[in-house]
Amino acid sequence: MSEKHQGYMKALKCRECGREYPLEATHVCEFDFGPLEVAYDYDRIKKTISRDLIASRPKTMWRYRELLPIAGEPTVGPQVGFTPLIKADRLAKKLGIRELWIKNDAVNYPTLSFKDRVVSVALSRAKELGFETVACASTGNLANSVAANAASAGLKSYVFIPSDLEQGKILNSLIYGANVISIKGHYDEVNRLCAEIAGKFGWAFVNVNMRPYYAEGSKSMAYEIAEQLGWRAPQHTIIPMASGSLLTKIHKGYQELVKVGLISESQPKVYGAQATGCSPISTAQKAGLDFFKPVKPDTIAKSLAIGTPADGFYALKVMRETNAAAEDVTDDEIRDAIKLLAETEGIFAETAGGVTVGVAKKLIASGKIPKEDSAVICVTGNGLKTLDAVNGYCGKAREIKPSLREFEALLAQEEKVNA
Amino acid sequence: MAIKKKKVSVSKPNTPAQQRLWLMYPPKLIKKPFIYEVGHKFKVVTNIRQATITDEIGIVCLELDGARSEVGRAITWLVKQGVNVEPVEIGVIAG
Repeated sequence: MSEKHQGYMKALKCRECGREYPLEATHVCEFDFGPLEVAYDYDRIKKTISRDLIASRPKTMWRYRELLPIAGEPTVGPQVGFTPLIKADRLAKKLGIRELWIKNDAVNYPTLSFKDRVVSVALSRAKELGFETVACASTGNLANSVAANAASAGLKSYVFIPSDLEQGKILNSLIYGANVISIKGHYDEVNRLCAEIAGKFGWAFVNVNMRPYYAEGSKSMAYEIAEQLGWRAPQHTIIPMASGSLLTKIHKGYQELVKVGLISESQPKVYGAQATGCSPISTAQKAGLDFFKPVKPDTIAKSLAIGTPADGFYALKVMRETNAAAEDVTDDEIRDAIKLLAETEGIFAETAGGVTVGVAKKLIASGKIPKEDSAVICVTGNGLKTLDAVNGYCGKAREIKPSLREFEALLAQEEKVNA
Repeated sequence: MAIKKKKVSVSKPNTPAQQRLWLMYPPKLIKKPFIYEVGHKFKVVTNIRQATITDEIGIVCLELDGARSEVGRAITWLVKQGVNVEPVEIGVIAG
């Protein structure tokens, strides 16, 4: 494959044995079934990339394109990324830490979750490889993002969902004209069927045969955090874990910035956050194990409900290497944390955001994240997507007749209560 | 590198199939010879590609070859015994 077709990528490489494969739509090593990952020519990237070059480009995730797995210009989701990094002083005070930042992918374009990063990378690469049909299996955010990004790129899309998914989530994919296929059966059966479909039809299945490229999109969150902090890696980053991929890729992103000379060497710690109702990785981390035991998910944090996390082993390894930790929170703690974030910073996060904020609170309270340090919390999706999770937990609107006297009486009563 | 469009044919029960699976055994089942039994109960070829057994968990990467219906029955039987059976691409369904 010529340089023209591979950009700054060198090959796909097995994370277990290091065997190399061509830069095609393939995802596991034929020898040991280890996951494949994109290997880059960092020497060449280092010679090309600079802070000035990045600053001269539009404020999207593609300003770091040399470090993303596409050969040419991005063709899908050119506006994705560069979401706000907000200094969260009011939340910092509540959690008792000196400095706190929120990386807010709840406002990522176009579907209000961090999945737009990974999907735009996967679909841009899929177009380079000549695919016309893209697909995914998802319970929410990924489906919405594939449907929307495929529509804007003129690609045909198939979205596979478990049959018990809420109507609202299905509509969020159907509206873009995606072929939504609802599969009856247990999660495991749906999982196996989707793997079979991905193998048989030769489509670009974003989280199966396109996974090496797809997963790399997550690194852009780390690049943006570092640039927005004035080109430095944060001391502590708290990251939600479903498959565990986002945590490993944010860590890889920080390491790459050092490797290509954009930031100086530091020891950023990456912490994993899960819901107690689906916590295979955090349970293993707390028990000091280097492997996880599969679980049956039972939590309101549906976007993190992966009982057999594909990158769980690697997430545990990264937390061990960075001397970080994992923690988990109950459904009630998730709701409380969603409210806390909304009331202190005006950010309405989906349940996964509640998990991350709740876990940050626990890690700070336990001293695992020192109070005098600075931390970044990753919020990966918008609260408008999971309204059911907080419905009935936020109080009620108070009703009055169209009378000024009645309103004043209500205020007077409130003052009395607060006095 | 354009991908040629394939005509979709409906899979039949006797269509040859190969599935690559991760089997995860909970501690209480670690000593059971399930792979031997699968090879005898069903017309499938079993091929162990990787295995890790500890006191806490047994993880085996297994290839199953045979008619589609037999491979399906073998998987159903393994699940019934209490083994967690995932495709080699675990966690295909994302959030």
